[in-house]
Amino acid sequence: MAVAQGTENTAMPQTVVTENAGSAVAASPRRAGARRGLPTAVNLAAFGVAVLAVWHLIAISGLVPPILFPGPVDVAQETWRTVVGMATGDHVLESLWITTSEILLGFVLAILVGFLLGCLVGETKFGTNVVMPYLVAINVMPKVAFAPVFVAWFGFGISSKVVMAAFIAFFPIIVDTAAGLASVERNKLMLFQSLGASRWQTLLKLKLPGALPHIFAGVKTAAVLVVVGAVVGEYLGGGNGLGELIKLSASQLRLDRVFAMIIFLSVVGLLLYALVGRIERKVVFWRHSSHLEINGS
Amino acid sequence: MTTTLDRGASTPPPPISAAVSVDQLSKTFTSRGVHALENISLELDPGTFASLIGPSGCGKSTLLKIMAGLLDATEGTVEIGGSRVEGPRPDIGMMFQEATLLPWRSTIENVVLPLEISHGRAAAKAARPKAMELLTTVGIGGFADAYPEELSGGMAQRAAICRMLITEPSVLFLDEPFGALDELTRELMNDELQRICASRDATSVMVTHSIAEAVYLSDVIYVMSARPGRIAARIEVDLPRPRTVDMITTPEFGQVMREVRAHLDSGAML
Repeated sequence: MAVAQGTENTAMPQTVVTENAGSAVAASPRRAGARRGLPTAVNLAAFGVAVLAVWHLIAISGLVPPILFPGPVDVAQETWRTVVGMATGDHVLESLWITTSEILLGFVLAILVGFLLGCLVGETKFGTNVVMPYLVAINVMPKVAFAPVFVAWFGFGISSKVVMAAFIAFFPIIVDTAAGLASVERNKLMLFQSLGASRWQTLLKLKLPGALPHIFAGVKTAAVLVVVGAVVGEYLGGGNGLGELIKLSASQLRLDRVFAMIIFLSVVGLLLYALVGRIERKVVFWRHSSHLEINGS
Repeated sequence: MTTTLDRGASTPPPPISAAVSVDQLSKTFTSRGVHALENISLELDPGTFASLIGPSGCGKSTLLKIMAGLLDATEGTVEIGGSRVEGPRPDIGMMFQEATLLPWRSTIENVVLPLEISHGRAAAKAARPKAMELLTTVGIGGFADAYPEELSGGMAQRAAICRMLITEPSVLFLDEPFGALDELTRELMNDELQRICASRDATSVMVTHSIAEAVYLSDVIYVMSARPGRIAARIEVDLPRPRTVDMITTPEFGQVMREVRAHLDSGAML
């Protein structure tokens, strides 16, 4: 269940990227681009409509009991009802807020821990040779299995979910930060050496800025994983978040409600991913255009 | 005050140039057991332009790095301006084959980077007018606020030259500075380099693969042989300055080139 949710979240941002690319091309003044861009958008919409149509046909065909397989219309109605409910301040809004805070706090925690451990691993021999093997060992463990441990340690409140979310999300940031620090070009290191730069100056003025594109790649992966972590935490640790509502609705066989909640979760994941992408474009501004860098090698 | 088109007129007063001497220098890479350099000695008067030329693996880049204090010698010493080189020094300017500009800094921010590292942000900011002047002398003043990805290879190397000159070094070490550029840009850059070295009177050492380039720029050429790297010949270039592209086709130029080539061939076969 949780894994399926994760894949859905990963797939969604990709869709958005394609859409953006399509509209960007369509909006460009070049006519060739406009001609090529329109069919992409049309194809995209047509495919979406086709999927919805098939879903709808299966739902109304009577082949599957409607209580187990709500159609797109049921899900849309339920989603709308929930949105209206939230506007009038019912408990779903509170659940959404709880889950969102878990996701955001878990994300911040994952970034802090991931970045610091990434620097330790990427910058020191001790980190590379001694710490990294243990981190790899932790990474290959089924992290979801730790959920009950965190509940035992941090209780049924928000903190156990925050820790679970961070725990699932932090590893890619470590790996990408360390890889980014190691990706610095030898010639640039030699330049800094010839300028008499201290280790600290080399890290701040050369290695970290150079590692930013890698770090953002890790943070984007984490943005997807952190939602998975928060929901898994709620499935296994109770509380009042959306995960708990999904569990409850599923036990009442209100699958239209379950799908509506999943849509809300996906939107939160999507917004988080888009936010990181936006910040990335601001911060790593020099990666905008294609590479004109001269390379001797 | 300074006019950009008038060549040489806009350059600041030349820094005091320094003599460079290398005394019985040897280098062994113990980890690989490679005997890279053996008993290298050379003396350069202040203001001399010298080239190191030799087959791949003759240790010419290693020698330059030791002279610049980036590598330790196994035996022997390097002295610049009478004091021993024991590490990177502010009076040494270095240039590499690639421009190695930082893509997140604008051209002018790249040029003042050495001062930012040695004297802090305030000093770097104060040096901006000087950086601007340098950029203007090499003809890319209009690109001061552009980012490296907007620069061509030749423009990037011009910016790298400015970065090297901002600290007013008394010696310049150039490790195949234009090796990554196309032939035409390379000729232009060599002219630029000749002009800069002449106006500053800085002592310069360049590592190169190109015989023509070495003859064109140098007062003296050290031909090196490989395994272990040592100096096979010292050839003085007695062509008048400033050197021009027309001189490349003269018999005198050809004669020096033949001499270098002869030593290169015999040296490579040792």
